[in-house]
Amino acid sequence: MAVDESGQAFHHPIYSFLEKMPGLSLGLTTADQLLTWGSSNSLFIFPMATSCCGIEFMAASSGRFDLDQIGSIPRGTPRQSDVMVIAGTITVKMAPRVKKLWDQMPEPKWAIAMGSCAISGDFYRDIYSVVPGVDTFMPIDVYVPGCPPNPDQLFAGLRRLQEKIRAKRNGEWTDPELRPDTPGLRSPNLPRIGDPRREASLDEAQLDAVMNLDPGGGMLRSGDKS
Amino acid sequence: MSTPDDLASLLREGFDLEPADPLTVDRSRVVELARSLKGIGFEYFSYCAAAHYPATDADPDRTVVEYRLRRLPRDEVAFRVWVPTGESTPSLCGVFAGADWQEREQYDLVGTVFADHPDLRRIMLPEDWEGHPLRRDYAIDTRHHPWR
Amino acid sequence: MAVAHSEEAHEAPAGPVPTVVRPWADPYLDPETYDPEGDLMVMNLGPQHPSTHGVFRVKLWLDGEVCVKAVPYPGYLHRGVEKLCEKLTYVQIPPIVDKNDYVSPYINELAVNMAFEQLNAVEVPRRSQYLRTLGAEMQRVGSHLLWLGTFAMDMGGALGGGASAFMHTFRERETILDCFELWTGARFHYNTLTVGGSRHDVPAGFAEMVRRTYETIRARTIEYDELIYDNAIFRSRTEGVGRVDAKLAMELGVSGPILRASGIDWDLRRDRPYAAYGELKINVPVRSAGDSLARYEVRMAEMRESIRLVLDLIDGIPEGPICALKPVKLPGAFKGKAGQAYVAVDGPRGELGTWVIADGTERAYRLKIRPPSYHAMALIPYLAPGSTLSDIIVTLGSLDPILGEVDR
Repeated sequence: MAVDESGQAFHHPIYSFLEKMPGLSLGLTTADQLLTWGSSNSLFIFPMATSCCGIEFMAASSGRFDLDQIGSIPRGTPRQSDVMVIAGTITVKMAPRVKKLWDQMPEPKWAIAMGSCAISGDFYRDIYSVVPGVDTFMPIDVYVPGCPPNPDQLFAGLRRLQEKIRAKRNGEWTDPELRPDTPGLRSPNLPRIGDPRREASLDEAQLDAVMNLDPGGGMLRSGDKS
Repeated sequence: MSTPDDLASLLREGFDLEPADPLTVDRSRVVELARSLKGIGFEYFSYCAAAHYPATDADPDRTVVEYRLRRLPRDEVAFRVWVPTGESTPSLCGVFAGADWQEREQYDLVGTVFADHPDLRRIMLPEDWEGHPLRRDYAIDTRHHPWR
Repeated sequence: MAVAHSEEAHEAPAGPVPTVVRPWADPYLDPETYDPEGDLMVMNLGPQHPSTHGVFRVKLWLDGEVCVKAVPYPGYLHRGVEKLCEKLTYVQIPPIVDKNDYVSPYINELAVNMAFEQLNAVEVPRRSQYLRTLGAEMQRVGSHLLWLGTFAMDMGGALGGGASAFMHTFRERETILDCFELWTGARFHYNTLTVGGSRHDVPAGFAEMVRRTYETIRARTIEYDELIYDNAIFRSRTEGVGRVDAKLAMELGVSGPILRASGIDWDLRRDRPYAAYGELKINVPVRSAGDSLARYEVRMAEMRESIRLVLDLIDGIPEGPICALKPVKLPGAFKGKAGQAYVAVDGPRGELGTWVIADGTERAYRLKIRPPSYHAMALIPYLAPGSTLSDIIVTLGSLDPILGEVDR
């Protein structure tokens, strides 16, 4: 049983071929379990550490909290990492780079939004230069709220991600995380996709950002040439 | 904070100014003032900051630019120039190398134009940005397609 | 090579004529005139690079491995703090400026609150002055520990296995954060200072905890020196690298440990005392070499001096109220007087100032943060030409930039 992009189970022709061969399906199941075990317990993290949360991420990877204990290490390159932890405020100037780095990561990949700035923009969300939540331009698997979240909370987020990975590998459907809401906090200016209050232009903008990658990539926008 | 004697005499005799914090000088004499101050030891360029004032009945739309210099360890002097919008003020880059980034930042955020600046580009915001965010008439939540 | 060429560029510059011929590299060098055939390699360092300490981008023109010209592009973390501060009231501003220099939030709060107090002529009680001094010195040690760990990590495997020094310094930094957590309830981003004083008094058992923590760190600084300073590879990578000219540093407004490592004996804590610094004796470490090694020495000496101050202060905090005004929680409850003020404090990176124009409402008309790191990063176009790429990384690390503060 394999799982496609949208999380739905599907049958590849090679699976049906292998299932006909006696004995092989047993091996497939074992291999699947092995892969699940491996991918959920060796999450290499690409730290998209821009600001304060980056310092807490560093604290999480240092001695007291020790990311290594759950098999995760920070890896400074997108090519060899599984999880992108967006730790910090993402600005309009930075967002194309984040998106480019996310696109450079090989599948399977996951993303964690660490801290209120990455989740919704926090108190910067009204500011002209700040992206109000990274989920406006890339998919997020786990939200870790806090300003900044303690390293323990980042661990909780990573454990949640591991659960999701295991469930998905087993072919179970996991609900997408919702942006955590704190009671009494103003709701974000930008409603999420599917919200009736959301303007159509935002959907278009998001679609535009996701689908129409210019050939030069995000690095070479006309405004950034120098 | 007391004004040191040599500073007071320089201001009174050279520029016809009474010591104050900050001094207000004319745009045409700001480079000369900065150079004279550097000559008597005010070599530390602390900052350059600008603020925007919208047009009122008495005044046109304008910005104020304030510079602060220090003579280490204790003395400091601040002077400001008023720049009507649409005009420019001379850059201090020829006197203080540090004026480069400082004036670029104020140009970027407040929109004050510095004449003879060697490299007057935006520094904080992308080059294709429109408007200057710290002006009073700039909405804080201005949209920037497609990212916000 | 690049430096020699830059003097020629001064004879026939493309832009306006600089009136003073300066002895340092020319940041406005035109790569076309340097190398008309276009053999230079243009390299982009950052914005997402582990050794840029955040999101900082430098465009480098390299001749072989030697840099010819460097153009920094800050602004990847520009969060519009100054615009936000115009929108918020005085009471709401301290938690915002915490996030500017997120390695020393306490000193950020101190800088803005001192500006508001000067603007409104508020006298801060003596106990609160001492608490502020204590907090600032505790924070300085934490900030320098973070710098030490990341600086050693920038030099990577040369120092005995990548992140060793980082692990050591973060172990101690966690204990400092524990002290602050006990005091204010947050690991950082405290929101503990307010106009007129402090919000949180020190809790029971705090003195004992601080004493234990900082005595441990004082003993461990010897270990750091053994691990890093006595390492021959560290010496050869930092000695003479990124030499900062004192005149240039003053023109750029570079302050703090960088200026003191270049031979200028200036410290706002001693020369223009604020909080309780006037009643303390502060030894200011100065080195004259101006290179990365000298900056290391100055910061380590500062760290020891701060530890001494913390241990001296912790027993001598006078009794009394901690806030001159009733601490307000309602955003509009504090109205400022009209006027203008500039107050600078000496943070871990240098002169951290706040320039505020007030118009008599509960909001500031204009608030500018004068960040030391922004001025330090202006050194890059001058320091990078003539040095190799690996030396640029060391130089960048030794300047100790915090990008939240550079871009605001």
